[in-house]
Amino acid sequence: MAAPGNPNVTKLFERRLTPADSPLAVAGTTALAVCVAMGIAAIFFHHYGASPVQAYFGLFHEPFGTLHGFGYALVRAAPLALVALGTIVSWRSGFYYLGFEGCFVIGAAAVGWMSLATPRGPHLGPLFLPLAILLSLTVGGLWAGLVAFVRVRLGGNEVLISLMSNYVARFFLQYLVSGPLRAPGSLPETSVLPHDTWLPFLVPGTRGHAGILIAVAAALLVWALLQKLPLGYELIVTGFNPAAARYAGIEVGRRMMLAGFFAGGLGALAGMVEVLGSQHRLMDGISGNMGFVGIIVALLSRLNPLATVPIALVYGGMSVGADAMQRRAAIPSSITFLLESLAILLVLASDIFRFYRLNFTFLTRFKWRVSPGEDSA
Amino acid sequence: MKHTLEMKNIVKRFPGVVANDHASFTIQAGQIHALVGENGAGKSTLMQILYGFHSMDSGEIFIDGQLIRLGGPKDAIALGIGMVHQEFMLVPTFSVVENIVLGLGAGAGAMLDLARASSRIRDLSDRYGLALDPSAKVGALPIGVQQRVEILKLVYRDARLLILDEPTSVLTAGEKDRLFAVLRELGRSGCSIVIVTHKLNEIMELADRVTVMRDGRTLGTKSISSTSQQELAQLMVGRAVQLHAVKPNRDLGEPILRVEELCVADDSDVEKVHRVTLEVRAGEIFGIAGVDGNGQSELAEAILHLRKAKSGRIFLAGADVTRMSVGERRARGVAYVPADRRGVGSVTEMTVADNAVLGLQRRYRRGPFRSARDARHAADRLAERFGVRGAGIDSPAGKLSGGNLQKLIIGRELTCGACMLIVEQPTRGLDVGAVESLWKELLLARQEGKAVLLISTEMEELLNLSDRIAVLFNGRILGVFDAPFGSVDQIGLLMAGIAPSGPSSPWPRPGTRT
Repeated sequence: MAAPGNPNVTKLFERRLTPADSPLAVAGTTALAVCVAMGIAAIFFHHYGASPVQAYFGLFHEPFGTLHGFGYALVRAAPLALVALGTIVSWRSGFYYLGFEGCFVIGAAAVGWMSLATPRGPHLGPLFLPLAILLSLTVGGLWAGLVAFVRVRLGGNEVLISLMSNYVARFFLQYLVSGPLRAPGSLPETSVLPHDTWLPFLVPGTRGHAGILIAVAAALLVWALLQKLPLGYELIVTGFNPAAARYAGIEVGRRMMLAGFFAGGLGALAGMVEVLGSQHRLMDGISGNMGFVGIIVALLSRLNPLATVPIALVYGGMSVGADAMQRRAAIPSSITFLLESLAILLVLASDIFRFYRLNFTFLTRFKWRVSPGEDSA
Repeated sequence: MKHTLEMKNIVKRFPGVVANDHASFTIQAGQIHALVGENGAGKSTLMQILYGFHSMDSGEIFIDGQLIRLGGPKDAIALGIGMVHQEFMLVPTFSVVENIVLGLGAGAGAMLDLARASSRIRDLSDRYGLALDPSAKVGALPIGVQQRVEILKLVYRDARLLILDEPTSVLTAGEKDRLFAVLRELGRSGCSIVIVTHKLNEIMELADRVTVMRDGRTLGTKSISSTSQQELAQLMVGRAVQLHAVKPNRDLGEPILRVEELCVADDSDVEKVHRVTLEVRAGEIFGIAGVDGNGQSELAEAILHLRKAKSGRIFLAGADVTRMSVGERRARGVAYVPADRRGVGSVTEMTVADNAVLGLQRRYRRGPFRSARDARHAADRLAERFGVRGAGIDSPAGKLSGGNLQKLIIGRELTCGACMLIVEQPTRGLDVGAVESLWKELLLARQEGKAVLLISTEMEELLNLSDRIAVLFNGRILGVFDAPFGSVDQIGLLMAGIAPSGPSSPWPRPGTRT
């Protein structure tokens, strides 16, 4: 790519050979992108006669200024963070899995069934949660692992297969809640799960439950896996450069299947957290798109596991705030979706700025360069 | 004599480095001018500025005393400046004439007048001895002929200054002579030619004048008759250089690698290695000579199991490893320096420290955890011993220049404790200083009793280092020669696929001369 015109001219934006990748540069461009998104969304608030400042205050006050709202933010954040972690494990291993909706549903269904089918009794109490975690990890892992197997052994396209498998899982859940697991009544849903299988609430009087702790633990484990274990190194090498991975003696296919297994397990864990922590019953549409929104959280975290929980919290909090805004000020929550989508687009697009250097001399050159020598140029 | 082209005080900065620091040089009309320097000395950057690929921060370029401005390669070719890149930019499914007129409006309106273009190509080809058939499909042409197509492409566009980047690295000896004849002919007709290269012997043979670069600066221009290889090498590196390796005598040890009747196919299932049998012993450097693409890479890949063997067996220290995975073979002591440094030998997105333990990731750990500290120590040691420069151990390995990345990879594979070392094109694109130290390291590995399979297209390298040389042509071993290598011509002929007169067995026993 050649610079047009005179090479001696200082340009305001000069292309870098490598992107500026210091934490400051990344944080700076991200913050700038979010500000621009909020600026654009402010135009839409204007239509409703709300001042943008008030609107944004309302948006963030409910989830982060009230205990009740914060509880809801935690409820929304936990499954999002878990799906994001699954995304990180699989994508960093070069396995572009998009089937988290399916994993979510499968995990929720398995745990919901387990909860309903477990005979009552005090003896199971402390054992139920570990078993539920194990069950959801297993079914989700196998569900996504199957896609990984098709990709690795048969050369299938994991993006297509995993997207399609979401429908299979969803219809399977529809079948369960309208057939075998349907509670007597009009709605296709199960009866409420027994209380002793629910995740404990963290703060009395709020809906915040222990799912967020599971998400935090999972984030730490995923971080340790990728950063601290030789296995994680092998996964990352596989993701960056399969040829180099093979050269390094890494079993690329097996590593990719393992990544798929982990990713599916984390997706199913998100489903478990949602059904045991928040919904307390199985119904159609339980995932509420979290299998996709979680991928967005992963992208906004720039595939860094430790960033998933805070970003999921902001993201979940904003949706809580949007609901409150709609209730109180009758501002449609779709504006918030607009804001979120803009923020995602701009944050992802902001990467391009890290490839450019801003030449401040450009701004001052008009004062400097008014010299006789310049006339001939 | 008129100055055809002058570059004056060129400055070009990249993030963290000054690639060209007030570099100046002058090319005179009709001369062949060599530009030499170590990796990262700034030769390529300087030429890319001349060819319009990079903009310069400051400096001036004159053609015949006229200040010129270059906005891009299009401006450069309009001014008669053209470049032949190391990787050719040809469409393999097009014919020679189609490739040459590509991007030019040849003919009236929207129609191509290929007949007229062909006749002009034939004229030019005759004049400069290029021997090109305009209707031949480019993909079917040997690499040396493809290179001449690239040259003709520029001549066809009336280029008066041709820049050639490492033009001989992919050529056989015969093709190289051919290229030099063409370049001399072009010079006689008034074209100026700049050759960017590391190979001092070729400069002495071809060039009229030579400019040496170091650390982004031009150290000066000399006429070839007033300089020597030794002097140029010293100027490039900044110290005295030993161009010939001293190979101490050494008794051969146990056989380490034995390959029997190995057949390997490439990705499109074409058999690239055909019934190759060879044995490499401890303390021996076994050279594989051959022009690129004659099955060398496939052979190396099959030995490490990066590529499945179709048939045949591979033994490592007596044990049959034919069915073992890459990891198992590595664990048994096979190390490999691939020709593709960025695509295979390293993960350019990861840090230098992470790359220093690639393939050894299970070894550098404390308890169940990876030890980042040990990896960094390893990287530090490699950087020091092998002179890896240009990027810190915490920056991405992709920031290293090709030569420095190669030093890192070779260092890693040499020091990982393997008994069998497969080295493919170890010094391709490296400067004399780096070549000298890598040769020393390879000989040291030999002294330590390692078995080395050295795959190279550089005759000089093979002759200097090898105890035995096998010539690979079309996937077959055509002959094996023992050191000292008296009959270099014969090796060259075999590399071109010309069998020596008289009966020759496909696999002569060690000790016999073919």
